[in-house]
Amino acid sequence: MSTLLFLIGEAFVNLRRNALVATGAVLAVFVSLALAFGALVFNELVRVNTLQWQEGDHLIIFLKDEGGPVAHSELLEQINDYPEVKNAWYMDKAGAYQEFLEIYSDQPALAATVTAADLPASIRVELDDISTYQEVQFRLVGHPLLRRLSVFSEGIERLLSLTGVLNSIGIGLVVLMGASAVVLIANTIRMAIYARREEIAIMKLVGAGNWFIRVPFIIEGATVGLLGGGLAAAAVFASHNLLERIPTDILIRFQVDPGFLLSRTILILAFGGLAGFIGSSLGLRRFLRV
Amino acid sequence: MIRLHNVAKVYDGGVVAVQEVSMDVRKGEFVFLVGPSGSGKSTLIRMCLREEKVTRGKIWVAGKDITKLPTWRVPYLRRTVGTVFQDFKLLPNKTVAENVAFALKVTGCPRSIVRRQVNTVLELVGLSAKTDRYPRQLSGGEQQRVSIARAFVNRPPILLADEPTGNLDPATSVGIMRLLDRINRTGTTVMMATHDFAIVDAMRRRVVQLDRGRVVRDQGESGYESSDES
Ligand SMILES: Nc1ncnc2c1ncn2[C@@H]1O[C@H](COP(=O)(O)OP(=O)(O)O)[C@@H](O)[C@H]1O
Ligand SMILES: [Mg+2]
Repeated sequence: MSTLLFLIGEAFVNLRRNALVATGAVLAVFVSLALAFGALVFNELVRVNTLQWQEGDHLIIFLKDEGGPVAHSELLEQINDYPEVKNAWYMDKAGAYQEFLEIYSDQPALAATVTAADLPASIRVELDDISTYQEVQFRLVGHPLLRRLSVFSEGIERLLSLTGVLNSIGIGLVVLMGASAVVLIANTIRMAIYARREEIAIMKLVGAGNWFIRVPFIIEGATVGLLGGGLAAAAVFASHNLLERIPTDILIRFQVDPGFLLSRTILILAFGGLAGFIGSSLGLRRFLRV
Repeated sequence: MIRLHNVAKVYDGGVVAVQEVSMDVRKGEFVFLVGPSGSGKSTLIRMCLREEKVTRGKIWVAGKDITKLPTWRVPYLRRTVGTVFQDFKLLPNKTVAENVAFALKVTGCPRSIVRRQVNTVLELVGLSAKTDRYPRQLSGGEQQRVSIARAFVNRPPILLADEPTGNLDPATSVGIMRLLDRINRTGTTVMMATHDFAIVDAMRRRVVQLDRGRVVRDQGESGYESSDES
């Protein structure tokens, strides 16, 4: 126990002596992991924003509660009679809640705050030609039941078709950035070993075992990784806070669930620490001879 | 305590540093290894620490055949053998007390015991007043005392010294030799390589003389030069 404390102390003394290189490594790991984390959040935003749009729906007309299902089905009939409309169908509050639960299935914290009564019923519309959506919009302006009308814009269409690509780019980025963090830390540790090679020789001469010499380096690497991961998480939190200020009621929402952020933060931190551990072990691999 | 049997060392590149060396150092003995520069004294000491592997022959240290020692056991060997070198080999970023404590820390010794042992041994070498200095703030003689304190702090049965007075003036060297003598009197086996004949002559201890890697003389209570000339 006191040995472990001693070795941790050694690691931090060494980090301080090596502060410049260590800071460089922390910043580089920070950039790598911030990019990786950012990609994760961006993917999540895209997913949240596109899930509502099912195959073929072009318009979503969110309805006020007044009049209830009866008034709603009258409106549905009217809309079905519009010449531009190919097909329209009604989603009641229960359906909306089901959909909501599906969209946020991995974010129970958010889902728990909402009940079916909170969610509006809606009419989903498929058009013959999506460019005619403005005609429908025009017809509905001022309708007492209209709460909000969402249009499946070309932007969303493009986003949707991009989701797959974005996903693989995101994963690729995460893997690439993670690997570069590992390599960076391995290099830092190797430089630290080189700078301290005479001290290491002396330590071995007075009977220090391999682990006694290695553990401080591993702690050093893990600390660099954790600090880089921590900075990355802080940066993503900060930018998410900025995004959150943008009002929700326009087409795209910029919020992700706090639970999502938290779990991914833990993931990034763990990854930073792990990258540090693997990196320093790699950096130490070649140096073992007595 | 230290036994060499037919030991030879050939370095990469073919330099024969040591050949056909056999000797036996008993517990509590004080042995000088003498000989001109390049005669193989340092190589012999390094082989006893497993810093170098023997090319041929066997070495037993404290009863163990260290030529067959697996690598992971080498640190344990070095904890039973204290070492002192010409260039002190102190850790520059640690204080006197931390340098001495390090030899105990590597054994996993608890902190309270470390502190007590370190204080005792620093008193023994006369450095109690300078425990918080860094090596660069000490004279050569003081640095060598620190290194002796570190070698002795965990009471090893054996102490190996390679030219411990090589960087020191004669007056300081006398002080260092007194210290090594005192350590030897506690029962520690000491083997010391040197080419300082004044010291060897003054101490009158066993002398093993090397020349071009071979033992050419092994004589008890002797001086630097052979004393049985007729
Ligand atoms: N690491 C080494 N590689 C090759 N040759 C060496 C090495 N160390 C010592 N030697 C050679 O071995 C011989 C003995 O050296 P050494 O043991 O240092 O002698 P001494 O300590 O008596 O001066 C010398 O010829 C020296 O050049
Ligand atoms: Mg020598």
